[in-house]
Amino acid sequence: MTRDTLRSILVAGVFALTTVNASAQPLTVDDFKSTRPAPRTASGKPDLSGYWKGTRDTKPGGNIGKDLPGWRLPLTEAGEAALRHNLTATVDPEALCIIGGIPRHNASGLPFEVLQGVNKVAFLYWYSYFRLIPIDPTRKHADDPDPSFFGEALGRWEGDTLVIDSIGFKDERVWIDENANPHSDALHVVERWTRPDFDHIRVETLIDDSKFYTRPFTYSRTWVLGKPEEELHEYSCSENNVHKDHLGFGPGPIRKDGTRGYDDPAPLPPPIPRPPAK
Amino acid sequence: MRLKLLVVIASTAAALVTQGRLYAHHSFAAQYDGTQSIRLIGTLTKVEWTNPHTYFYLDVKEPDGTVVQWACEAGAPGALSRRGFKRGDLKIGDTIIVDGYRARDGSHLADARRVTLPDGRIVSGASAGDGGPQ
Repeated sequence: MTRDTLRSILVAGVFALTTVNASAQPLTVDDFKSTRPAPRTASGKPDLSGYWKGTRDTKPGGNIGKDLPGWRLPLTEAGEAALRHNLTATVDPEALCIIGGIPRHNASGLPFEVLQGVNKVAFLYWYSYFRLIPIDPTRKHADDPDPSFFGEALGRWEGDTLVIDSIGFKDERVWIDENANPHSDALHVVERWTRPDFDHIRVETLIDDSKFYTRPFTYSRTWVLGKPEEELHEYSCSENNVHKDHLGFGPGPIRKDGTRGYDDPAPLPPPIPRPPAK
Repeated sequence: MRLKLLVVIASTAAALVTQGRLYAHHSFAAQYDGTQSIRLIGTLTKVEWTNPHTYFYLDVKEPDGTVVQWACEAGAPGALSRRGFKRGDLKIGDTIIVDGYRARDGSHLADARRVTLPDGRIVSGASAGDGGPQ
């Protein structure tokens, strides 16, 4: 094997690694062992604060039916119609810089950051979105909350679990996940957040939407703690949204594995080997 | 010695990318035709190092001699930077090779999945996590 041949192989290898791992998340939950206990605040409650990253073993990513057999959501007839509408007549709201909302942000591949105070907790998301949730067991939902993408969220502690109860959602320009599944304004989401150790955060989510789903269903997920230097940065979604005029309706094809994308895409032309250094 | 250096570069690149994070602003398949891969070789005329995507523009000469401007979409600046693909790697007037996919709407817009810079360096322009081909 000549040096140039070996060099070409190495270049191709680096590129292959880059393309594969550019989309892969860095770790699985089991790769990320922790021997440290969850930190606690002065009040004794677990501190959920941190920069949290998804892992490769959350499959299928972006699909709110992840934990259901065959990822089949229990859609009502109205839910089926709403899904057809989303697939054939709507552009992904998030791609148009509309807030993804809950529970979609919990199914996202993007990291997020939690800042926990005594009476409030903030969830900070990519695109510079946030939700600020009161932690107050005496607060009740409004009789007729103004519809919003994150809903009217109320927090309370149940032991070491932070429960976030949300109603009052929008019913238009929303997808419940990346695959264009729908939710209605009857959506009721109950998130149960825990920090089982220093390096993991977990949510058990109950999704109840009697207009579009025949029964409540759950979505559970664990994230791992980012490195100390990792944090959210400015990400202006609408700075240069050139693509908004080129997007088709719906997410495009859904693969057999439940994720969006082509099962058998055409290959790219072969890489051009780097010329030998002179 | 050069080979050793290349192995080091390869290892470093691998380490860098395994620390990469997942970014996805829109579905690849909602915008691009996965059955139409394309290679563009053109002269760089403009760079927009912006969120939610980086765009750069190439003047590409067609077989009949006419010149067509193509817009090439890549990942967000933060994602590209962490891969070692920096704004300064793109200089107006450079000849750039883009391997990617055509927009489904038939416009002169391509997903810049793989970018070959004038020095031969190959970088990933993919918007990772968008469900596009790996």
